[in-house]
Amino acid sequence: MTDYGQDEILELVWTLREEGRATRSQLLRRTEEDQPERLIEELAAAGLVESSGDDVRLTKPGEERARVIIRRHRLAEVLLNNLFDLDNNQVESSACKFEHILTKTVTESVCTFLGHPPVCPHGRPIPRGECCDKIRTEIKPLVTRLSDAVLGEEVRIVFITPKSRKRLDKLSSLGIVPGSRVRLLQKNPSFVLEIGETTVAVDKDITDEIYVKRT
Amino acid sequence: MMGPPAAVANVAGKVILVGNPNVGKSVVFGQLTGRYVTVSNYPGTTVEVSRGETRERGKSLEIIDTPGVYSLLPMSEDERVTRDILMNEPGSVVLQVCDAKNMRRSLMITIQLAEMGVPLVLAVNMADEARYRGVMPKLEGLEGRFCVPAVPTVAVRKKGVERIIPLLSNAVPSPLRLEYGGVIEGAISRMERLLPDATPVGKRALAIMLLCGDDSLTPWLAENVRAENVREMNAVRNRLVEEIGDDISYRVNQARLAWIDSLLAELGEEPAEAKGRDWAQVFGKYSMDPLFGIPILLLVLFLAYEFVGVFGAGFLVDVLEEGVFGKWVLPAAAWTVERTIPWGMIRDMLVGPYGIISMALSYAIAIVLPIVGTFFLGFGILEDSGYLPRLAVMVDRIFKKIGCNGKAVLPMILGLGCDTMATLTTRILETRKERVIVTLLLALGIPCSAQLGVILGMLSDIGPAATIAWVGIIVGVILLVGYLASKVIPGESSDFILEIPPIRMPQMGNLAIKTMARIEWYLREAVPLFVIGTLILFAADRMGWLLWMQKVSEPIVVGALSLPPKTTEAFLIGFLRRDYGAAGLFDMARAGLLTHLQVVVSLVTITLFIPCLANFLVIIKEQGAKVAAGMALFIFPFAVLIGAAVNFASRVFGIHF
Repeated sequence: MTDYGQDEILELVWTLREEGRATRSQLLRRTEEDQPERLIEELAAAGLVESSGDDVRLTKPGEERARVIIRRHRLAEVLLNNLFDLDNNQVESSACKFEHILTKTVTESVCTFLGHPPVCPHGRPIPRGECCDKIRTEIKPLVTRLSDAVLGEEVRIVFITPKSRKRLDKLSSLGIVPGSRVRLLQKNPSFVLEIGETTVAVDKDITDEIYVKRT
Repeated sequence: MMGPPAAVANVAGKVILVGNPNVGKSVVFGQLTGRYVTVSNYPGTTVEVSRGETRERGKSLEIIDTPGVYSLLPMSEDERVTRDILMNEPGSVVLQVCDAKNMRRSLMITIQLAEMGVPLVLAVNMADEARYRGVMPKLEGLEGRFCVPAVPTVAVRKKGVERIIPLLSNAVPSPLRLEYGGVIEGAISRMERLLPDATPVGKRALAIMLLCGDDSLTPWLAENVRAENVREMNAVRNRLVEEIGDDISYRVNQARLAWIDSLLAELGEEPAEAKGRDWAQVFGKYSMDPLFGIPILLLVLFLAYEFVGVFGAGFLVDVLEEGVFGKWVLPAAAWTVERTIPWGMIRDMLVGPYGIISMALSYAIAIVLPIVGTFFLGFGILEDSGYLPRLAVMVDRIFKKIGCNGKAVLPMILGLGCDTMATLTTRILETRKERVIVTLLLALGIPCSAQLGVILGMLSDIGPAATIAWVGIIVGVILLVGYLASKVIPGESSDFILEIPPIRMPQMGNLAIKTMARIEWYLREAVPLFVIGTLILFAADRMGWLLWMQKVSEPIVVGALSLPPKTTEAFLIGFLRRDYGAAGLFDMARAGLLTHLQVVVSLVTITLFIPCLANFLVIIKEQGAKVAAGMALFIFPFAVLIGAAVNFASRVFGIHF
């Protein structure tokens, strides 16, 4: 478990640096770890941080590692907050777990899935990953809300997160379920979808709840 | 517009027409029975059940037309009507009318009908459109899977329907049962065991409906299932909810769709016909466009105004009222009456100032008939083209402000045809709040065709400023009252999810039949009321009540509205039918008894005036006497108030139109 403790310290150093208060005293005050002093020593021994007096700095390898942790954490926050509408406490505790366990591939998939978001729900920047660079020419995320889909393009429904069961029933009786292919025809003055040979007009907030993938 | 259910003798069996909205059930009904029920191109045309009969080798089959459904798990009043028919008519054959272009949705219903265990025949309608678009499924495989006949039809062209009739008497239930997976299947069989031995439809279907949380089954449960079993049923459902969550109906639908998708892929499609450019669909697209939608709407309104207001209320009324009635009918009637009837009172009753011929018939035939005739025709074109639901897309955001959604535009527009029928059509709205708001607005502010035509005829004589003022005031009042009502009336609004039918060229045959049916209905319903109204006026005039009434209402009519005392008569008969009241005003305006401002004030007042008798009765039937009385008590003083406000404001600002 010491690895997790080290991760937490690295993460905190990064966050404090963003706030412009990367000092050892702040670090010790804010951390939730049991033996922060020991963790800092370990990190210093591993060559990930440098500490002198009240000063705490990330070394180059430390910087790299912290960057990955922060990236996973904030991507997880976006995922849980935007997509699943979870409350803050839930988001925080889960994101803290996610940051340790996501592999590189999974992280990149999540990042692409979310459309390479630049900031977390708290407005802090999400460090860019390789996938973000590669994708420059293609700005559209893999999965978007139907309301953000490109007009006239056929997309496949991935999942639906409706407010009410009744709405879900109604949509499914019209054939709008995950796996169905739809086309967004217009957004103004109302949203109009085409599914098979059926044209359906719906509220915007319904199309906000339908997540689609390009085919 | 529908007669009483025809009495059917020696019925060998019953056939219920079921299907998605706007797939042509009513067309098939018309072909099977020879009876006309209104056919249009928008979902929700049929809100009531019609019955008729067809003959097959000497045997008679009763045919029942039902409102369209998206699912047999009802989500609105009209869907419930259909499901209840299936429950209440056990032993009937079901003829499901499918949309060949949208088999995916049609088969959702087919699966449910199979689960209900009803004898089933499929009419795969609009086969021509599906072939044109290259999406016509191969039906042999479909018949094989469901083990019931599936006949391709083009009902509007009378193709294929004949082939269905002999199949109906030999129809069998489909043995198809979809597998929903272990947990749900377990709950289904537990639920089935709790149902009574004899059920009106298959137990599996009922069990699934109950698991899906269908509360519209409550009355049936109360009558047919013991209380302890109902408790047990809840326990079964709750256990399933705990296991898989409460979106059971969604999971069931999803399983059905997945099965249908693989079936359709397996069936394959007939090769597509060569496609040309589809101008109707191009128009359909632009009519909902944010940029072109409004100009198209204005163009439609302008054409309607030209046709109904200028051609109908102007030209045709001139021909009939001044020409036919003024020069021929009335003089001839007067001449005949003078010579044949010795009693002065009877003479007056026929051809006097409040005479049946001189007033009731000349209003009904010479003034209102040409107007409603042109209106019904123009309106029929709009209905059949599929333009109306596109309006809902245009106005959804406005309707959100009055506690409804775009869907509510359908009954509102239909109200321009007849408020009474439109009040029935509010059933397509999903929540009670929406139904009450739209019913109120219909009763308050939507002039019916006859009234609208008369009003347009009067306004077109004055000029565009008065027309715009009248439209502006009425629309403003509707929005204001709608907004306030949405705040006052408890309950919630529903989601806006509306199917938009394809734009189609109206069929001349249907248009002609529909217009004639509506004119006949008008003559049947309106003329007797016109006669009664005239008799009341005649009697009131004889007894001197008319003068008395004019005196009593003088502070309102003359004082607040600054109208001549004679307008009291128009308002009085407006209680019977609003168009009759408007026709009275029309007559006065043509006689030069009203100034332009007085025309506008009186028209605003009579437009908002209490609904006609028939409309009022339907409000009682749909919403209860309390709601109806409340509406009338609000509308009557409110109409006068707005009329007075318009009068006052115009005089203060010196607007005289």
